[in-house]
Amino acid sequence: MNGKEEEIKRKLEQKFPALAGAVRVQRARRLWLEVPLDQFAGVFDYAVKEAGFTILGTISGVDDGADLGLLYHLDRPDGVVLNLKTRTAKDGGVMQSVTPYFPAAAIYEREIIDLLGGRFTGLPEGLSYPLPDDWPKGQCPLRKDWDPSVLERGGK
Amino acid sequence: MPYALFTILVFPGFLFLSAVSLFAEFFDRRIYARLQNRKGPPWFQPLADFIKLAAKEDIVPREADLAMFNLAPIFALTAVVTAFFYIPLWGTRALCSFQGDLIVVLYLLTIPTLTFFLGGWYSRSLFSALGAVRSITQLFAYEIPLFISLLAPALLADTWSLSGIAAYYQAHPFYWLFNLVGFGVALVALLGKLERVPFDIPEAETEIVAGSFTEYGGKMLAYFRLAIDSEAVVGASLLAAVYLPFGLGLNPLLGFVLYLIKVFFIIGLIALLRTVFARLRIDQMIVFCWQYVAPIAFLQILFNLVLKGFVLG
Amino acid sequence: MEERNLKYPIGPRHEINVPSDFSFVPRAKDEVRVPIGPQHPALKEPESFSVALRGERIMGVDVKIGYNHRGIEKACEQRSYIQDLYLVERICGICSHTHATCFAQGVEELAGLAVPKRALYIRSLVGELERIHSHLLWLGVAGHEIGFDTLLMYSWRDRELVMDALALLSGNRVNYGINQIGGVRRDVTKEQATEILKAVDKLEEQTKYYIQIAMEETTLIQRLSGVGKLSHDDAVRLGAIGPTGRASGVDRDVRRDDPYAAYGELAFKVVTDGHNDVYGRTIVRLGELLESYALIRQIIKNLPDGPLAVRAPRKIPAGEALSRYEAPRGEDIHYIKSNGGEKPERVKVRAPTLANIQSVAKMLEDRYLADLPIVVAAIDPCFSCTDRTIAVAGRGAMNWEELRRYGIEWYRGQGIDFSRLSSKLGRGA
Repeated sequence: MNGKEEEIKRKLEQKFPALAGAVRVQRARRLWLEVPLDQFAGVFDYAVKEAGFTILGTISGVDDGADLGLLYHLDRPDGVVLNLKTRTAKDGGVMQSVTPYFPAAAIYEREIIDLLGGRFTGLPEGLSYPLPDDWPKGQCPLRKDWDPSVLERGGK
Repeated sequence: MPYALFTILVFPGFLFLSAVSLFAEFFDRRIYARLQNRKGPPWFQPLADFIKLAAKEDIVPREADLAMFNLAPIFALTAVVTAFFYIPLWGTRALCSFQGDLIVVLYLLTIPTLTFFLGGWYSRSLFSALGAVRSITQLFAYEIPLFISLLAPALLADTWSLSGIAAYYQAHPFYWLFNLVGFGVALVALLGKLERVPFDIPEAETEIVAGSFTEYGGKMLAYFRLAIDSEAVVGASLLAAVYLPFGLGLNPLLGFVLYLIKVFFIIGLIALLRTVFARLRIDQMIVFCWQYVAPIAFLQILFNLVLKGFVLG
Repeated sequence: MEERNLKYPIGPRHEINVPSDFSFVPRAKDEVRVPIGPQHPALKEPESFSVALRGERIMGVDVKIGYNHRGIEKACEQRSYIQDLYLVERICGICSHTHATCFAQGVEELAGLAVPKRALYIRSLVGELERIHSHLLWLGVAGHEIGFDTLLMYSWRDRELVMDALALLSGNRVNYGINQIGGVRRDVTKEQATEILKAVDKLEEQTKYYIQIAMEETTLIQRLSGVGKLSHDDAVRLGAIGPTGRASGVDRDVRRDDPYAAYGELAFKVVTDGHNDVYGRTIVRLGELLESYALIRQIIKNLPDGPLAVRAPRKIPAGEALSRYEAPRGEDIHYIKSNGGEKPERVKVRAPTLANIQSVAKMLEDRYLADLPIVVAAIDPCFSCTDRTIAVAGRGAMNWEELRRYGIEWYRGQGIDFSRLSSKLGRGA
């Protein structure tokens, strides 16, 4: 039962001793792991290059109070999903773009920029997505404290 | 004089041609629909469309050349109707005829395509311009095979007059069977001329909206559509006169019925062809016309020359 | 100008907002920029391609999406789980069951519900019928894009059969509303099962005919073969999924790799192809149709007895779940986070088109303008799925009455007064 998942967990903890106990096996094919921002790059690189998580499902942004939570849903071809979470500061936090690994991640990152006000370095230039062009600057509608009535006041 | 006006404007001139054209559009749409498992429009639909369009406001793009934009449909319609006068319908005599009228008819039938180009180009819209360029590109692909394939029966008959051709085949029944390959070629070329699937590239809806006609609406579009419908009937009449010249000596009423049967047979063939094909790309269309259609047309000429020189001569 | 007392300000007319980097200005002298979209006959939904043309050749494409934003993710956070189930079903018109099932699965996982087997089978049944519906629809659209309207008319006629089967089963031709959290709402009776099998038999016969057409019809093959090439490596790199990926040899299918509903107990083949082009994508979809027919027969034959649903709590325990579903267009992902209340903390939807749209620019490289419609159509894009999120219409949420008033005001601004007309009509009636 859950042999593959326990194996991935064991290897992760072996490689990153600081993560001992952090990997959670929810059920078959579902792993959850939250890492601090400074360890994210290493864990992500290991997961993609060595643990075989070669597909990026999507990136979910979550408004976690003062933090912006970022969940990278990484898939393996055999169906195992690693939900790798990290946090940056909601205001002023900057995240490294994962487009060098997954070019297709650009649109997921743009979505987080528009909707949650995230910031990414290393993201190639491109069109914003998905808000309209005349959307008032600095309004991030998926943030919990966002008030839709701001639009009626012309973005003020 | 009043009789001449009657023949030009009413029968078998403009009004008659328009009526047959609108009915031909219905016939084409109905067959197309039935082959696609649909019900299709009622018989008066093309007329209703024409009236509706004619009643609408004329909108001309600000950038467009007003004169060219408005004159193009009129030119198209005039050219097509004029061509109709030189084609023998039933019997062996056309309304007007002179030695060389075959060439004149072919050139008159090129004018609608030119007006599509001019109308599209002077609309000064992106999609219109793309459609216009495609129209003219396509013209070079089908026009030569059409000319060559129509010259073959004329060579056999030793005359450049359509009425002369009709008279020749009337005098030599069953000789028209020699030209059946040419008939196939001319039919393919006619598909290109009428911009029907698989050659509806200049007005490919899913690519360039409506091509040359994108900016057209109201009366001008109605005239354009009538011109295209008439072009179909004139084209079919031309093919019928040149390739299916049998039963021309019948009494006028029977001959008239036979003429309509021939024309609607050709229109039906076009409807059938546009049911079973997908639209080609412009590059594929040109390669197809030059690689297959034009050589076959030349073969027909060669065949007729040999036939005339050695067998019948 | 007269100042009108409007709740929602109306921008000046004729003002088109084009972002500076989304250019319709040609970049090179001999290039023409053609705007395909946001409104264009080739596109069934608003999206925009700014195409740089040299003659008929495509030199470059800029893709702009996001026109279909309706704020569904935000709206989900403000509604209960049960309301959300019906809301996510309306993310897409065609794969409505996809989103509803995907969402229900996630919530059930959070609540720890053991969904009865019969319900799982019925979910799979509706899912496969929906796949048939979607693929037949796609076949027709693809036919239309290449000017082969006969194929459109035929496949959409046959699509009626599957839509009737779905209506028989759920009462609706689209938006089936068959799911509830913890199971399904409607049972499948013996008579319904027989009717569905009859429809499936007829459809299988028709699909075989389409496969024959796809193999033999020259103009069709000429328009599809070698068009929209996406090599296996590019497909993997750009994350192409569903039939788009499978036609480039990406052997992935959530139904097999991460089984949900009843798929773990059903035998089926994942159809892949090595053509790497639009033709391959057609072959894959036609092959999947045949697999779906076989699946439906299996499901109906093995339909277990038992209850249809278990009771779901109103408050869902705190936690997170990731739910995956193989939609007709590719993998659909829902991430649901609960804070222990009646409303979800966060719902994130990744529709398949968002993953596939990024390979379109690659597929269009050095192709003809005439290929653009079919290449775009070949990923079976669904922009209403893709562009869900955010607050409504950019003007704040409006209720029906406000929306109506806004419409009347807008038209009055254009010089058309509907209010007089409607009062006249009201008197007449």
